[in-house]
Amino acid sequence: MAAYLKPVLKHGLVTALALSLVLTFISPLLAGAMSVDVTTAKSNETGTGSVLGGEPTRVTWEALVGDGEQVSAVRVELPEGSSITDDSSVKVTVLEGTTRLSPENTAVMNKGDASVDVSFAAPLQPGQRLRLEMYKVSLPNVNGEVTLSGTYTLANGQVLDLAPSPAIEVTHASTAEKISNWLGEQPAVQAWNSVTFLRLFFQPELIVSSIPIVAVGWLISLGLVLVGFPLAIPIGLIAAFMKIARARILHVLAAIYTGVVRGTPLFLQIYIAFFGLPLLGIDINQYVLAIIVLAVNSGAYLCEIFRAGIQSVPNGQFEAARSLGMTGPQTMFYVIIPQTIRRVIPTMTSEFILLYKDTSLLAAVGVMELMLYSRSIVSLTGNMTPYIVAACFYLIVTLPLIRVVGNLEKRLALADSGGSAPKKKGRKNRRGAFAQMREEIAVNTEQAAEELQEQVRIEAHVDDASGPLDMDEALDELQDGAAVDAQIADADERGAQR
Amino acid sequence: MSEHGSMISIQHLSKCFGDNEVLKDVNIEVAKGEVVVVLGPSGSGKSTMLRCINLLEKPTGGHIFIEDKEITDPKTDVNKLREHVGMVFQQFNLFPQLTALKNVMLAQRKVLKRSKEEAERIARFELDRVGLGDRADYFPAQLSGGQQQRVAIARALAMEPHVMLFDEATSALDPELVRGVLDVMHSLAEEGMTMVVVTHEMQFAKDVADRVIFMEGGVVVEEGTPDEVFNHPKHERTKNFLGHIQ
Repeated sequence: MAAYLKPVLKHGLVTALALSLVLTFISPLLAGAMSVDVTTAKSNETGTGSVLGGEPTRVTWEALVGDGEQVSAVRVELPEGSSITDDSSVKVTVLEGTTRLSPENTAVMNKGDASVDVSFAAPLQPGQRLRLEMYKVSLPNVNGEVTLSGTYTLANGQVLDLAPSPAIEVTHASTAEKISNWLGEQPAVQAWNSVTFLRLFFQPELIVSSIPIVAVGWLISLGLVLVGFPLAIPIGLIAAFMKIARARILHVLAAIYTGVVRGTPLFLQIYIAFFGLPLLGIDINQYVLAIIVLAVNSGAYLCEIFRAGIQSVPNGQFEAARSLGMTGPQTMFYVIIPQTIRRVIPTMTSEFILLYKDTSLLAAVGVMELMLYSRSIVSLTGNMTPYIVAACFYLIVTLPLIRVVGNLEKRLALADSGGSAPKKKGRKNRRGAFAQMREEIAVNTEQAAEELQEQVRIEAHVDDASGPLDMDEALDELQDGAAVDAQIADADERGAQR
Repeated sequence: MSEHGSMISIQHLSKCFGDNEVLKDVNIEVAKGEVVVVLGPSGSGKSTMLRCINLLEKPTGGHIFIEDKEITDPKTDVNKLREHVGMVFQQFNLFPQLTALKNVMLAQRKVLKRSKEEAERIARFELDRVGLGDRADYFPAQLSGGQQQRVAIARALAMEPHVMLFDEATSALDPELVRGVLDVMHSLAEEGMTMVVVTHEMQFAKDVADRVIFMEGGVVVEEGTPDEVFNHPKHERTKNFLGHIQ
């Protein structure tokens, strides 16, 4: 190369090269590459409006052809993990401004790599908008944002990458949500849902999709009561002994405790504990506080149950034990308490059922339990079905327990009347079971009435007595009460004889 | 003070329930090995008197001595006293949650601190004695009233009492079950057990009693041998009562 030419050539070459480079590679970008400005997926979930991964949905993708470009083909790739099935389809729309064009095109959905190829007989012109609506395609089953990628081909055969699309928020789909979606497509379910009442209270899809969520609340409620109730038992026992011991001060303390707790609604107690204690600077974990409130509340009821249980043991049992030389505490622990346990287990179980149901009151102060979990879905969907699901979750615990109570009471009644253990009856049909349940309820009611009378009778004695400290004396006094009864009966008899 | 050699000495015993004076100045002596049957209409205070002997009722006044120890003394260990005074109740009062065997074993284990083996051996012996060796593993609810009462007697006997108190032991039983219980009591008496028996079983009183006491209105009206009381009652009230019964 001639030396004199060098500077010119050098300059010109550099300029030309630079220009051509710019023209070839950069100019399309500068001039306005095809830009993807819309990607959305239709919600495929009942209620919350989120897009579930792994479930069929409709993905809409829109791109604007850039200045100076002529696009002859577009390839859109769904994110990794997406799937296209035989049911999938794609609708191609081209818009110029608001005018809908129908250019000749071929659209192919590739199941293998989850992509869509669209090619046009005549290239798309700058400013034209391409819209692809992909029906029944599934996005990956993940939690998070996904984007669609792809390439486009210019009229001159040049293949360029598409800029990343706006993100789509995808929610991981659980099995329940998949079943729920499947249900939603069933004609029978759709027919069912066409009845407003059924749709609002018993919507099959919502039943399925809310079960796993409400179940979490159920476990929490069950946990609260399973920890709280055993704590209530010693509280109740101690209070019961305080009441029976009748050292004035102990008796008064126990009476205040049971009186206040049983005389005010649990709802109020929860409010005071949850809003009052923080004011005092006492900051306890809300679940711990919930357990404490439940235990203290139930303890008061258990106290009365235990006290009545101890005092329902016939006086003769005290006398027999004492006449054998057993001390007061020995009599209590080896003779009275074992009989009390048998007697109080049905009532205790009832109390457990009540406490379990009462955990729902904790929703008022924001403790996430069964009630609040179901309410959260109700408020999102405006549908009552989650409450029905919640009801079922309460029932799966309470119904078997109610049966247990019935059976225990029946057995107890039989044992007390000297009969043998009840025979197991075969339950051949529902009607039989219901009939039996009714019968049990009748028996229970009758028995409860008798127990109440007995209790009232005993209480009359207890109230008369003034307070010795010693348990031996307390027992002796109980016996005195019975003796007075015997005397009165004797006197009556004598009167009758005359 | 009590007479030497007497098992039970009741002196000037009185008992009130509120304003109701149930026992008035009752004096009874029971010698060792003696069988005393107490008769009287209901409400006569005989059961209360019996229950005072092991302090199931606290006497309002008077003194009671058992084997020369004053039990009405506040310093007396009531539980210790009761070990030696067996009592059988009208309503049996077996512990329903325990089998017959366990009923007889419980106080032996807890009060006398006998070993499990020894308590069981004695319990089985006593159950055999009342004719219920084969019912050891039955619960009270599975036994007839008569059987329950005999278990209750075995339970008291297992404590090796020095005196047995029977409080209308057969009154709650069906007539056909009374026999078995009376037989047990009869043989106990023949073995030399000191017994105070409150009952309405006249024949038993005639056959077994060394002495019969007739109470009415909280006082001892008459006492003597069965022959004296049944065949030659001195008091009008005794005659009336026996006339009613027979």
